[in-house]
Amino acid sequence: MVDYFEELHKVEHWLDLNSIDELRSISVSGEEVRIGSMVTHSELETNPTIKELLPLLSQSAAEVGSWQIRSRATVGGNVVTASPAGDTLAPLMAHDARFVAASTEGRREIKAEDFFTGPKQNALRPGELLTEIVLPRPQAGKSRLCYWEKVGKRNAVIISSVTIAVELKISEDGKIEKARPCYGAVAPTPVLIQSAAEFLQDKNLIDVDESQAGELVAEEVSPIDDIRGTEEYRRQVSRDLTIRALRYFRREWEGDS
Amino acid sequence: MEITFTINDEERTVDATPDQRLLDLIREDLGLTGTKEGCGKGECGVCTVIMDGEPVTSCLVLAPQADGAEIETIENLAEGDDLHPLQESFVENGAVQCGFCIPGMIMTAKQLLQEERNPDRDRIRQALAGNICRCTGYDKIIDAVEDAAQKMSGGEA
Repeated sequence: MVDYFEELHKVEHWLDLNSIDELRSISVSGEEVRIGSMVTHSELETNPTIKELLPLLSQSAAEVGSWQIRSRATVGGNVVTASPAGDTLAPLMAHDARFVAASTEGRREIKAEDFFTGPKQNALRPGELLTEIVLPRPQAGKSRLCYWEKVGKRNAVIISSVTIAVELKISEDGKIEKARPCYGAVAPTPVLIQSAAEFLQDKNLIDVDESQAGELVAEEVSPIDDIRGTEEYRRQVSRDLTIRALRYFRREWEGDS
Repeated sequence: MEITFTINDEERTVDATPDQRLLDLIREDLGLTGTKEGCGKGECGVCTVIMDGEPVTSCLVLAPQADGAEIETIENLAEGDDLHPLQESFVENGAVQCGFCIPGMIMTAKQLLQEERNPDRDRIRQALAGNICRCTGYDKIIDAVEDAAQKMSGGEA
């Protein structure tokens, strides 16, 4: 809309999706959480189910723009815009999201890692509409730890310089069964850092060398210089946030057991 | 296209174009010029109105999207010369300098106090993060919202 009113592009037809109730629902089954693409950031921020089951998504939505923006801005909008700095994107990836694309040809699901194809580019084909986001429901009794943080030039109403969203699944004896360290604004798309995920896999949480994990992240990200931070700054912040996240996980784990 | 909505407790039916902003509908068509335009990009919060119980920047809402909605603007607060406790507190605390941002500030604050009786200063700052003021430095605005919260929750009539 802003682009339209600044005459950056033309819009021939306007279509308001708000009155399609199916696109605004949040539903939970034994296995999955399904979130309609027109669910707003305010809803993600306050919905008790999302807060409990998908904390990274809820916390990141709460830091997007201002209250006024969160009242209107939808999660589907954040996803299809596919900005490398989109705040809910690394969290969705960390929570293992799949995106449902629907067209007159049918429906298909696209994994978060495959959906973002470049800065502001996504895998939707012409005629496809993002209708739903599907996330696995964390299983009761399984230990899971989550960490979200956003770094920007101000504390509020700011486009992120770096974001981190990590989900770890931990076995009873403290072994990392699954690690999804995801980052925003440090590559052409939101990214899952494979080298760090592999490094963490099957290690005991309390034995992890967090500095080494941080170095892996700093190496694998591919940031650019822009007004929100230099490449060097972003690599350092990615490393430091990784270290901070792992220390937080350790404290949480030790506090619990 | 014809749209019908409630604004300040009054039902209105008006003609709107698909790309008309709610802000322009409110100011130009309905003549309610208390709502101001600042950046026109959703960044400054001056054009904040309450729509279906949520603060929104009316420059980022298309008028047809207001069909069926309930909208409240700054004009709905005072009754004649009787100011709303928020307006009163802004005056008493000197929270107003040029005044341009104040309608948006007050509408956001009003919705906050609707949802929470006694928000602390951090919570008030967080809620008002999308309302920019270039004069006051914010402290007196936060003071005013705190005062209003007290008045409205019965601490002082």
